[in-house]
Amino acid sequence: MARPERVVLMVGTRKGGYLLRSDAARRRWKVGPVIADGSDVYHLTADPRHPGEFYALANNDFWGPMVYRSTDGGTRWREAPTPRLPRRSQRTPGMGPPDASAPARSVRNLWHLTPGPADQPETLLLGADPHLLFRSDDHGRSWTEVRGLTEHPTRDRWNPGAGGPCVHTVLLDPAHPGRLYVGISAAGTFRSDDLGESFRPVNRGVRADFQPDRYPEVGQCVHKIALDPKNPQTIYRQDHCGMYVSRDGMDDGWTDVGRGLPSRFGFGVATAEALPGRAFFLPLDPQSRTTLGDGLQIYQYTDRDRRWRPLIRGNPFPGRHAVHREGLAADRLDPAGLYAGTTTGRVVWSANGGRDWAMLPYQFPAIHSIEAFVDGPNR
Amino acid sequence: MEVHLDRWLAEFGAPPEARLSARDLTELLGTLETRYPRLQGKMRDDAGAIRRFVRVFVNGEPVDGLDPRVTLGPDDRVDILHSIAGG
Repeated sequence: MARPERVVLMVGTRKGGYLLRSDAARRRWKVGPVIADGSDVYHLTADPRHPGEFYALANNDFWGPMVYRSTDGGTRWREAPTPRLPRRSQRTPGMGPPDASAPARSVRNLWHLTPGPADQPETLLLGADPHLLFRSDDHGRSWTEVRGLTEHPTRDRWNPGAGGPCVHTVLLDPAHPGRLYVGISAAGTFRSDDLGESFRPVNRGVRADFQPDRYPEVGQCVHKIALDPKNPQTIYRQDHCGMYVSRDGMDDGWTDVGRGLPSRFGFGVATAEALPGRAFFLPLDPQSRTTLGDGLQIYQYTDRDRRWRPLIRGNPFPGRHAVHREGLAADRLDPAGLYAGTTTGRVVWSANGGRDWAMLPYQFPAIHSIEAFVDGPNR
Repeated sequence: MEVHLDRWLAEFGAPPEARLSARDLTELLGTLETRYPRLQGKMRDDAGAIRRFVRVFVNGEPVDGLDPRVTLGPDDRVDILHSIAGG
């Protein structure tokens, strides 16, 4: 008897989002109908606090950004309230831009949605462009700009990355209630210990080769960060200027660990619950931003001995590929599922922690993001 | 006035044609957004500017943004369309 389909791979693409379903063996995937067809879907995620609830962040060239929500496990989707900035005339004095002649702002792209803590089931956090973080405490019915971040005193030193001025990573630390990390291009990483009331920059030790000051307080171009699932004090970082590890919740700064790799440039990083102390990176050529050599290769970093190991044997996926910052993911099963979604619209995955790899026989539009959701217990 | 909406815009809960009254385009868009709330944010951004790929025509003539000099009367026809763009 087939095991129930309980692994959902959520793929955001240049032209809509997709849910792929498999059983725990993860050998075959069923590709579902497109969600928000025609829109750039930057991120899809599940809210494990509310079974069957999924979100898609769509950015439409014509009609702007839109949040979509499904409450039936991804079968039907409806547009949900989208975070917006109040028009200047509606802004509370002192709460908007200090200078009335300052350029008017508008939410341009929605980047990443993170469900809030388990004990705050109505809370959602959403990172957006330009340099925006929103919070909802009513299950997404309304959104409030998180001014502890968006009016941070260092903001005048933040710059846009090539993807725009985006808050692209929003991570809760499961071991420290209230602790929240955000990644911003190109401002760096920031940590809050009060669920967003206040933030401080945590970028010590991360190079910014594109600035006169190579080690500024802020301004680094972080591409993605991932927490070690068993020890979330350990955090892995793919930055524009290398791969880094922090082992004390970023308090100890960052250690450059990219030595020995063919390139320190890349976009994605992922960690897997079944493989603690390890992180997965996909180094890219810093000029072309495509894979090095003649094929796709994913590297495993082991923090205990700072060793790197290429995971894909031979060259089963020849050609030039690339992944965006949300293009690497892992699931929480054991053995771990590892996934890469490429800008050439292919999904490459391993269902056994990186020993064997396959490419899904389905051509997607260019993939922005990939995330794996597992319904139910781990094994 | 007679207002015609692009069929894609009509998917956000508005009828393809409506008779409305407004003194100018800003008021017209506000009326549409109030009456059909899913249109909020679709025709113009949070700063109130017409989105890049939304085109407004008054009596068949294109209007640049929400030109406040364009006044509207009961016999006017307004078309709100999406432009040819994308890929």
